[in-house]
Amino acid sequence: MNREEFFEQLREGLSGLPESEIADILYDYNEHFEIGSSKGKTQEEIALELGNPQTIAKSYRVNAKITKAEKNPSPSNLIKALLAAMTLGFFNLIFVLGPFLGVIGLLFGLYGISIGFVAGGMGSILSTLAAPFFSGIHIGVHPITSISIGTGLTALGVLLLIGSFYLTKFLYQLTLKYLRWNLDVITK
Amino acid sequence: MNIQFKKGVLELCVLSLLTKRDFYGYELVEYISQHIDISDGTIYPLLRRFRADGYVTTYLQESQEGPPRKYYKIKEDGRQAFKELLEEWEEFTARVNEIIRGDLNE
Repeated sequence: MNREEFFEQLREGLSGLPESEIADILYDYNEHFEIGSSKGKTQEEIALELGNPQTIAKSYRVNAKITKAEKNPSPSNLIKALLAAMTLGFFNLIFVLGPFLGVIGLLFGLYGISIGFVAGGMGSILSTLAAPFFSGIHIGVHPITSISIGTGLTALGVLLLIGSFYLTKFLYQLTLKYLRWNLDVITK
Repeated sequence: MNIQFKKGVLELCVLSLLTKRDFYGYELVEYISQHIDISDGTIYPLLRRFRADGYVTTYLQESQEGPPRKYYKIKEDGRQAFKELLEEWEEFTARVNEIIRGDLNE
């Protein structure tokens, strides 16, 4: 591959990024080719040593998406970064999607438990308060017991909910860090 | 050596060199590929990320031959990141060496 072909493929792979960024990236490779030739290397040698321009371009595109998800955290930016990482190859699908689904599953579970605790606790309090008004309903335990259990459960649920919220934020950052690492490892 | 191994330490190698003096891209690529067999094209995306993360700044400097060169200069955040990576690396290699060179104590 000669210099023109390398640049053509690199530019094509970078399309979608802001024009100023593309120019900046191309500048680096232009400089690399210039210095390489001044040291007596042929265009073909330099291109070969640089590696596949399409893979190089992908690595920039995924990096840009990860950075965006870091700066403007949102589920859609995270998913875009994940999808971009997956385009790096089939192999990556397993490495990215597997852990991510595991994390999502864990979070759903935690939110479910928290909401369950709150609902159970509130139910326990409300039914104790409501029981005297409905003759024939016996809750089976002393009102003080059920109210304190209810309060305890609700408080535990709220704490878990707060904890899950912080965990979500933490895992969001962790996912991005993982993607970065994954990107460094996979792209050759 | 395994490609995953090499990639993992590339960040550490680049930051380490930059703590010693300022480099331009080609120099870094040349130096590292003398020691580690890796595609030259992997270094530039890394350098760009370092700049986006505030680890390095860049400046252009004229040279006798060819175009002006983009030099990379490490910043305080970069030094901090290097320190952390180095600690992780040293702890990791020490543990691996313990396994490789140690007696099997069961």
